[in-house]
Amino acid sequence: MNCERIREQIPEALAGRLDKTAREALVEHLEGCAGCRTEVAELNAVWRGLETVKAGMDATPDAGAKLRFQEMLAAYQAGMASVQPVASKPRVVWFPTRPVWQAAMAAGLLVCGILFGRFLPQTGGSNPEMAQLRDQVENLHQMVALSMLQQQSPSARMRGVTYSEKIAQPDPQVLDALLQAVNHDSNVNVRLSAVDALQKFATEPEVARAMMNSIAGQESPLVQIALIDMLVQLKARGVAPDLVQISKNMQMDEMVRQRAAWAIHKMEAER
Amino acid sequence: MEDEQVMWEVREGAVGKLELLFDRHHTGILRYFQYLTSNRTLSEDLAQEVFFRVLKYRQSYQPDGNFRAWLYQIARNVFADQLGKQKPEVAMPEEAREIRGAETPPDREFQKKQEALMLRRALAAMPGDKREVLIMSRFLDLKHEEIAAVLKCEVGTVKVRVYRAMRDLSDRFFALSGERVS
Repeated sequence: MNCERIREQIPEALAGRLDKTAREALVEHLEGCAGCRTEVAELNAVWRGLETVKAGMDATPDAGAKLRFQEMLAAYQAGMASVQPVASKPRVVWFPTRPVWQAAMAAGLLVCGILFGRFLPQTGGSNPEMAQLRDQVENLHQMVALSMLQQQSPSARMRGVTYSEKIAQPDPQVLDALLQAVNHDSNVNVRLSAVDALQKFATEPEVARAMMNSIAGQESPLVQIALIDMLVQLKARGVAPDLVQISKNMQMDEMVRQRAAWAIHKMEAER
Repeated sequence: MEDEQVMWEVREGAVGKLELLFDRHHTGILRYFQYLTSNRTLSEDLAQEVFFRVLKYRQSYQPDGNFRAWLYQIARNVFADQLGKQKPEVAMPEEAREIRGAETPPDREFQKKQEALMLRRALAAMPGDKREVLIMSRFLDLKHEEIAAVLKCEVGTVKVRVYRAMRDLSDRFFALSGERVS
């Protein structure tokens, strides 16, 4: 066997995975080949060194990893239960039993198929299976997002917000859930993340209004400022009069008032 | 119960059984991402995403397939998507930057530790495809047949790739350490 073929077997030999025949052939070759002996020695040094690297790598999962997984699994199961189709009666389909009618029906279907294919408008090469698969994935993200937004733990709700950001096509149910989170979630961090996630729904006309209305009800200036910033980012000029009111409302936190004044200025400057 | 049987039941709707597979493979998947990214937090997130995708694509699992190979195919895709999201970034182990110039006490343990750091540095500098095949073979102890299934190539090709990756790593390591085996 030539040196190249022998050398390719060295990693397997070092891992102890080489069978007896191959091992004997390797040893026999090494006895007469100084170059391959050096190769084995070098690769062996590196192979052993990698054992130390492996031992030094702390791959103990943190305690929260299992919990996160279980939350995701529970959310998925909850989602599965809610979309489980109700068993329906089997449909009885009439089908001819005589071969002559079966042949006539097959021919008829073939002609229909050809005509249908001939005159069906072209769809630009889109693949319906792919579209269906994309829909399924999309639905899954929505399902998990909605379910997680209902969870007890703030970290699970936070991940629900994160899942909602993965949805390509904004869904009204998810939008409602996020607005609910912005307005009523007990945890400030979840509310802040939900504000960020709403950016995806910028094209929905009611979003800016809902965000504007939410500012007055918020107890945290941080969330109020995040909402104002998002309105600026969305260029929601329609809410400018409301921002003026906020900037003059002495009941509001001073930072929030200043931010509202800044937002008005910024929107006018970009006009 | 074998992984394949458990996964089949997950595919058929017993999704709760995925927890068993999570317990068996989460550490391996985490290790895979840690070697690839050198970033613990990111690796935790990517490992979670792998199990999420197992659920999502459970219907695509084939009964005759090796579960571990299928799982690592998913992990590979998750990592590829991650690379697509951000510029690939291989963080250098902090200590590895300190190697050169450090005095070497005649302590064998210290020497081993230094060698390990240099190897990590050499590993981090390797091209991604070579690093990946080495991680699978050396750190995750995947069989060549499993690696072939993950990479969708022949077993003979895996053998050659593992050898070439070892050769590359060896060259980089000895260039760093400045001494070759004689």
